[in-house]
Amino acid sequence: MGYLPRKSLQVLGSIFAVTTFNFFLFHIIPGDPLRLIARTQKLDAEQVAALRIEYGLDGSLFSQYLTYIGNLLHGDLGYSFALHEQVSTALMRALGHTALLLATSTVIVVLFGIFLGVFAGSRQGSKADSRTIIGALVFWSMPTFWVGMLLVFTFGVWWGVLPISGITTPNAVYETYFSYLMDIARHLVLPTLTLALVDIAFFVLITRTSLVEVMSEDFMLTARGKGLPRRTLVWRHGVRNALLPVMTASALYISGLVGGAIQVEVVYSWPGMGLLMYNSVLARDYAVLEAAFLVSSVVVILANFATDVLYRRLDPRVVVAQ
Amino acid sequence: MTTNSNDFELREAPETQLSILGKIWQDRMGRIGLLMTVSVFTISIIGPMIWPFDPAAVGADASSILQPPNSQNWLGTDELGRDVFSQFLQGSRVSLLVGVTATIIATVIGAGIGISSGYFMGRLDTVLMAITDFFLVVPSLPLMIAMGSIFGQNLTVIILIIGVLSWPRNARIIRSQTLSLRERKFVPRAKSLGATDLRIIRKHMIPHVLPLVVANTILVVAGAILAEATLAFIGLGDPDRISWGSMLHFAFASGAIGRGAWWYFMPPGLGILAIVLAFTLLGHSFDRINNPRLRDAA
Amino acid sequence: MNLLEVKNLSVQYGSGQGGVLAVDGVDLSVGVGEFVGLAGESGCGKTTLAMAIPNLLPKYASITTGTIEFEGQDLSNKSESELNEVRWRDISVIFQGALNALNPVATIGNQIAEPILIHEPGTSHDAAITRAKELLEAVGISASRSSSYSHEFSGGMRQRVMIAMALACRPKLVIADEPITALDVMTQAQILELLRSLSETFNLSMLLISHDLSVLAETCDRVQIMYAGKVAEVGTADDVFGEQNSAHPYTQRLLKSYPNIHQERKFIDGIPGYPPDLSKSHAGCRFAERCTVSVEKCFTDEPELAVISELHRSACHLVGGSK
Repeated sequence: MGYLPRKSLQVLGSIFAVTTFNFFLFHIIPGDPLRLIARTQKLDAEQVAALRIEYGLDGSLFSQYLTYIGNLLHGDLGYSFALHEQVSTALMRALGHTALLLATSTVIVVLFGIFLGVFAGSRQGSKADSRTIIGALVFWSMPTFWVGMLLVFTFGVWWGVLPISGITTPNAVYETYFSYLMDIARHLVLPTLTLALVDIAFFVLITRTSLVEVMSEDFMLTARGKGLPRRTLVWRHGVRNALLPVMTASALYISGLVGGAIQVEVVYSWPGMGLLMYNSVLARDYAVLEAAFLVSSVVVILANFATDVLYRRLDPRVVVAQ
Repeated sequence: MTTNSNDFELREAPETQLSILGKIWQDRMGRIGLLMTVSVFTISIIGPMIWPFDPAAVGADASSILQPPNSQNWLGTDELGRDVFSQFLQGSRVSLLVGVTATIIATVIGAGIGISSGYFMGRLDTVLMAITDFFLVVPSLPLMIAMGSIFGQNLTVIILIIGVLSWPRNARIIRSQTLSLRERKFVPRAKSLGATDLRIIRKHMIPHVLPLVVANTILVVAGAILAEATLAFIGLGDPDRISWGSMLHFAFASGAIGRGAWWYFMPPGLGILAIVLAFTLLGHSFDRINNPRLRDAA
Repeated sequence: MNLLEVKNLSVQYGSGQGGVLAVDGVDLSVGVGEFVGLAGESGCGKTTLAMAIPNLLPKYASITTGTIEFEGQDLSNKSESELNEVRWRDISVIFQGALNALNPVATIGNQIAEPILIHEPGTSHDAAITRAKELLEAVGISASRSSSYSHEFSGGMRQRVMIAMALACRPKLVIADEPITALDVMTQAQILELLRSLSETFNLSMLLISHDLSVLAETCDRVQIMYAGKVAEVGTADDVFGEQNSAHPYTQRLLKSYPNIHQERKFIDGIPGYPPDLSKSHAGCRFAERCTVSVEKCFTDEPELAVISELHRSACHLVGGSK
């Protein structure tokens, strides 16, 4: 079997596994599952009976599972009594906001992280190198939400230069579409900066380590022997080889993304998946929590799949190893 | 790698803890990490015994609320007039407790799965590694949040959740070490002498594999402390226990940031930073001792 | 005037007390069109000496004394960017172990074209690739393979790619560091033959490093034997390798340790003991402890390179060796 079909099957397997895991996680809770589904609501007998049938709660755990899978395949993630709407509606709205936040910060994190990692790794053993490492480790050791609090305090409260809550200014009237976008961009600055400050360390450290190893390879001596200027040497020969292990390691970054988003969205009231999960925790809205966990896992699995495919396109050696 | 291909040397005891500490002391990062770790442990054990204020005692009236640092309350008071410094001292205990105990759980699970997987191989290996990869990929904070809100909020549950979700990387590393150890001559030799699998695992695998995951295990402590702080900040901490994360939760929820009460939200954050950085530095130092190529000349 | 004239060169690894003087006051010359061989056991400083010429030494190594005159200019105190002008355009290197000497993620065509583009600004990328293809044909590889990657070639083919790359800018001097060591015997003979024929086509001078004396005996005009960072003996191939000519006990022992390239490889007679620890200072001849003919003087006085004939020199108190 070729790579793509095999890998796709694997991805489907992972999604199936995470779905099953998710179902049983939320159904081993002691007590009537319906109470959890509708925790905050007082329901009358008729509603309860209707829900029982909708969720297949009158049957065995296995038949409930089949109903759950069936509903999922129809895009039905359940109904949230706390939000008074379909879970899928709430998730779709939030997903876009989180995607905007994570995409912006990922671009910054990857670009600056790799640049700083190359800066340090190509100067192995220098003062600049050890300062970069220490700096990265310090930011890496800060809780993301606390960095958010510090930035809120510094830029929002103390200097008052940037918005610290939400995605747009409440009740703002926009004269042009551009000014609307600018408002979003201003709201995006601090959440993105928070994520970037903490996550950048990951790429700095991995890129540095990888480059240091590549720099001691024989082909780097060949490149030096050719009389290449240092910058060409480092970037064309060093970095191109060093980035492949960085890509492999980025699976770790991807699985940590959602966690970062939750913390930042809570601090900045950014209306994305993370804030939705936070509010669901407070409201014990299990329908949303269950769906949000499922969706974030699936997104992570797909993102890893995409990275793997990209990796194979970039490393000429992989084809032969097949 | 520090493993030797010569299985004669394998019979000797793995490097003693003392000489490892010595090597870490030689390393600048390791020394800083070690000193920071020892200081935080000392403060958290002795601090609450000698600091006179009860962290839970609320202020007498409105004048004691969110007071900046003064001669009596070194780090001021919180939104209920409680002493921040005594909360800070008390809170360090939860961080360390969760960090260490969750890591023990994670290491036991990781070693169990890694060693069985690498030693017995075959179908067991396939299944265990599929489970490991599953937990490596699943985003852990959402899962912790889901489990936290399902299983309730007390310290034991939090420790179990963090421990149960922190083992996969250790399991992977231990498995590959076990696999390479298994290839050495002494395994078939021991078997031919009638040693049982359990005995080989106990006598040969565990003592030689575990020292190799020390670096990663130390990093697990750092991760577990961050995870506890984050869960507590989200509001899933143990309501009966003061932790640095829960202090930040209340600081955030009570609007201390907007009121400029830096003495309330700075200390717990710095505390988390200090202890996580300490363990991170230690972990990296271990890594560099095992991996001299990465060592910088400075 | 010789193309390359190295005088009194010393190279030190590390610094201060822990420093190791890997090359210690060595002279070396290569004339235009000349093939010079550099031989000795591993760790004797032959690669260090060769890599010091275009200064491709690692960061922790430094040239402490001496001059490296190439076409009359001293390379030993040139800056990195000045050296980059000379590297590959004038002096190229065929590195040992071509498996790792080629970049795994760049096509070999691009890798061969790269120095052309760097050293001959104004060359178009297409023109450089065309020249790369010609070079590949010259070393016996089909031009159509210029877009392949190094992992798609066998060891011998990679070494051919390496040779093509070394010739890309038509250099005056090629340093070949153990160019055939990792290869099987058949391929070794082919690569040697290729080097010889290309040197005529391209009018090359070459510094050929090998621990295998038979290779040097067949290929080189002159040979220099190194021991423990110093020159033990230097002369024409005939001076050094001729049955009755060899004028240093170390060379004589080396000759006994290596079989002829065309005969079956078998270990004949190794030299007992190891080269001395270069981090310590030495009195006397460095080979004295392993030498079977050493006399008292050998342990106290360091021998100078003594003239034996016009081109033949030997650093032995018993010049002429034991016969």
